[in-house]
Amino acid sequence: LAAPPGPAGQDPRGWRVPVDCVRANELCAGEPSCSSRYRTLRQCLAGRDRNTMLANKECQAALEVLQESPLYDCRCKRGMKKELQCLQIYWSIHLGLTEGEEFYEASPYEPVTSRLSDIFRLASIFSGMDPAATSKSNHCLDAAKACNLNDNCKRLRSGYISTCSRELAGSEPCSRRKCHKALRQFFDRVPGEFTFRLLFCSCKDRACAERRRQTIVPSCSYEDREKPNCLDLRGTCRADHLCRSRLADFHTNCQATFQSLTSCPGDNYQACLGSYAGLIGFDVTPNYVDASTTSITISPWCSCKGSGNMEEECEKFLRDFTENPCLRNAIQAFGNGSDVNVAP
Amino acid sequence: AFGLYFPRKEYLENVYIDEPAGVPLLRIHALKDSHEEVAHFHLCQTLIISRARSHENNWFQIREKTGLLYLSKSLDRDDFNMLSVGNWMPLSKVMLYVFLSSHPFQEKECDSATRTTVFLSLINATAPACNSLTARQLCFTEMDLSFHIKENRPPGTFHQLQLPSVHHLCQNLSISYKLLAAEGLPFRYNENTTSVRVTQRLDREERERYELIAKCTVREGFREMQVEVPFLVNVLDEDDSPPFLPNGTDTADAVVEFNRKEGTVLATLTVYDADTTPIYPLESSRKKYTGTIVTDDPWISETFRVEHIFDEIHFSPNGSQVRGTRHEYKLVLNKSISVTEHRYFQLDVLVNDTEFPGPERSVMLHFNVSILPVSIQFSNVTYQFTVNRNAERFAQIGKICIENCMKFRGVNITYKLLSPNASCYPVGILQGREDKYGSLYVNDSSALRRPECKEIQYTVQATDKQSRKHAKTLLTVVLEGTILKKEEDCPDSCAISKHHAECEECGGLGVLTGRCQWRQGSGKGITTNYSTCTPSIKTCPDGICDVVESRDPAVCPQDCTSGNIIGGHGKGIGNLGIKSGHGICYCFPRQNCYCEKDDIKEQLCDEVCKTVI
Repeated sequence: LAAPPGPAGQDPRGWRVPVDCVRANELCAGEPSCSSRYRTLRQCLAGRDRNTMLANKECQAALEVLQESPLYDCRCKRGMKKELQCLQIYWSIHLGLTEGEEFYEASPYEPVTSRLSDIFRLASIFSGMDPAATSKSNHCLDAAKACNLNDNCKRLRSGYISTCSRELAGSEPCSRRKCHKALRQFFDRVPGEFTFRLLFCSCKDRACAERRRQTIVPSCSYEDREKPNCLDLRGTCRADHLCRSRLADFHTNCQATFQSLTSCPGDNYQACLGSYAGLIGFDVTPNYVDASTTSITISPWCSCKGSGNMEEECEKFLRDFTENPCLRNAIQAFGNGSDVNVAP
Repeated sequence: AFGLYFPRKEYLENVYIDEPAGVPLLRIHALKDSHEEVAHFHLCQTLIISRARSHENNWFQIREKTGLLYLSKSLDRDDFNMLSVGNWMPLSKVMLYVFLSSHPFQEKECDSATRTTVFLSLINATAPACNSLTARQLCFTEMDLSFHIKENRPPGTFHQLQLPSVHHLCQNLSISYKLLAAEGLPFRYNENTTSVRVTQRLDREERERYELIAKCTVREGFREMQVEVPFLVNVLDEDDSPPFLPNGTDTADAVVEFNRKEGTVLATLTVYDADTTPIYPLESSRKKYTGTIVTDDPWISETFRVEHIFDEIHFSPNGSQVRGTRHEYKLVLNKSISVTEHRYFQLDVLVNDTEFPGPERSVMLHFNVSILPVSIQFSNVTYQFTVNRNAERFAQIGKICIENCMKFRGVNITYKLLSPNASCYPVGILQGREDKYGSLYVNDSSALRRPECKEIQYTVQATDKQSRKHAKTLLTVVLEGTILKKEEDCPDSCAISKHHAECEECGGLGVLTGRCQWRQGSGKGITTNYSTCTPSIKTCPDGICDVVESRDPAVCPQDCTSGNIIGGHGKGIGNLGIKSGHGICYCFPRQNCYCEKDDIKEQLCDEVCKTVI
């Protein structure tokens, strides 16, 4: 067997190709200097007051050494085996580098290279018809039918629907925790050609739009007695590695930009829709706010009431959902069955 | 005092490959706390790439006095490649921190609290020709023109509209700016320096948001292009308003009578404040605005607590809407109070806006507390119930309740039957955990059938658990009716019967008169009003698995089943019982329930009926 080419693979241009963090951790564990520095850094970050810990010389030295290790550029894959472990490794390094108070954080996930057109091709095979011929039908109903014809989709969909609509005794209407878990399983394990059709179907009447709004069983997974402040919600999300990663992924892939035709980073609708779906089942679960057919408004369950001096920041966070041209264009493009033509 | 601060949290500019050293990139401004202060800018010598990797800064410098960030060394292709490694975002961005101090910087420190972030987009190309840029690119960066200015601070310059890099590179273009919609507002635009200044101290409680428009005109020979973008100023709040009482109300009555349970809200008083109070983070705001009970009496401090909630409200001082806060202080019972307790007193709560600098930071709230005793007694002198001799075990005869029992909360009353003459003892009493009454039911149906048992006298006793106070009353149970012959082959549960006729022929556990009762439903889809056979329509199915029903699954599985339900249905609360069903619902106790449409349809339309149509 040939020895591995280096701590992390190198591509022909000499750029390091990111390895996944679980693998990077194994590589690091094989090198005594790397593993001892990594242990030191984790201890530095475990303290309550991270900033004073990091001011420590030993901690800084550990960080510098680790910048050269494969742990540095490592990424995770959505729905990979040991995803949580991978993200824990990722954030154990990255929390030491950023202040943890950036408005937008970079995604720990690998970039999405597939395109919406791949989904359309698959979807038309499944439904057995040309998307243009179904223009008169209820797309959301068609999506539900298509899901029911697929064993995996049907099983996981009925799984989350029964969990999310089970009434409990007492004041709670349902177990939100279990409902979120079931939703995450559905969106992680069912391919996009089914989940996207359910989430982003285009509608011409209210009944269809209401069905679309009800896709994630919002009475359990979305609505709550009170609307928390959005920054508070973001804080809760950031305290959890998985939620924090999904939010960072959404910000990376759906952040509106002037530098592309579609307002989406790299004109990649698929990546934006995928990271949107990745938020469902977390504290920041987004949904359609009403059953309007003309305008699509998306929001997490929060408001900017009570923001004090942080109102500007709160509005900015909320606007990335409610008034995001990239997200809106991506949803509309999916509904129309049109993708941007990007030269390969 | 706050000291110096930045009017923006973030700045953004583009950097191109091979731009010469000395190119100015952007101007950063600082606002002051007092006139004498002098701002010093300092750049942290660490470049953060992709918000993860860092590198020593060899290329960017800032002028300590003016805040001008410039390129000190040209960024060549090798530098660019090095800074882009691992940066697999569509656009390479590097991040720098700029710090602010009123003293010259001594050390190369990187950890001052007052800092702003500069994002530099690294463009993988040489600087574009000026005539290839759009007016938007020539005039403004991609970042919103949005600023924050603290209230009650001296005036000062906070922005320069002209982009230093564009001004430097495109000197043959004429780019001029104007600030629109600024008439009457405290902002001035200086044409010579293109800088914008706030001209007076701002007051957030007067107005907290200014929306202006920045207009840019580009002239190139005879060509003229114009761009307009919003220019927003938010005024930041500080604690400069004392608390006040709406309508001067500082007193409320708090009466404790039937509801004596821990956690009961007795009364609420409201305090307003024109300042905002962030609900995030919640705990620190609670600490800033305190409400404490003023008392030396340990009984009062143990028995009561004050709960503070607050929310945002709007004031309109002069047409424009301004956010303020409504604080609510609720007097809450900290423990359940005994029924014998009897007191009147005034309870004072001191509300303190701890960060307000003046002496008016506190208000005193007064609660007039009356704790009334309640008596444990029966209103009826005697209870009398009639029971049919054909009633079965678990038939519900009636309810026993002391005076006002349904109003009680936090009072634990238990009901007990004191045994009568030993031979006839057909009834028992049961009480659910939260139930305020006792349910009288048949627990020995054989005693009902015995001819010597006719009229039975019991004594009922109700006891308050905490005070051991008790009350007694007499209860007479009269047995009536003649004993019917039992049908053979009848199941022991009414719920098993599927048809109207067989239901009413049979008896079952819980029946009152020896026969089950049929409930005819509406028959429309899945409904709470489904057809079913039950021991008593009054108690089953009513959506509640009560204490008597829960004693035996055969009594009312429609309310109590936790097994499978086959057919169209909706489950009840806590997954117990059938809340709604399709057609007729029937159950085999301890097994499944079924909801289905009766398969005997109305007669099919024959030839005669067709001709009528």
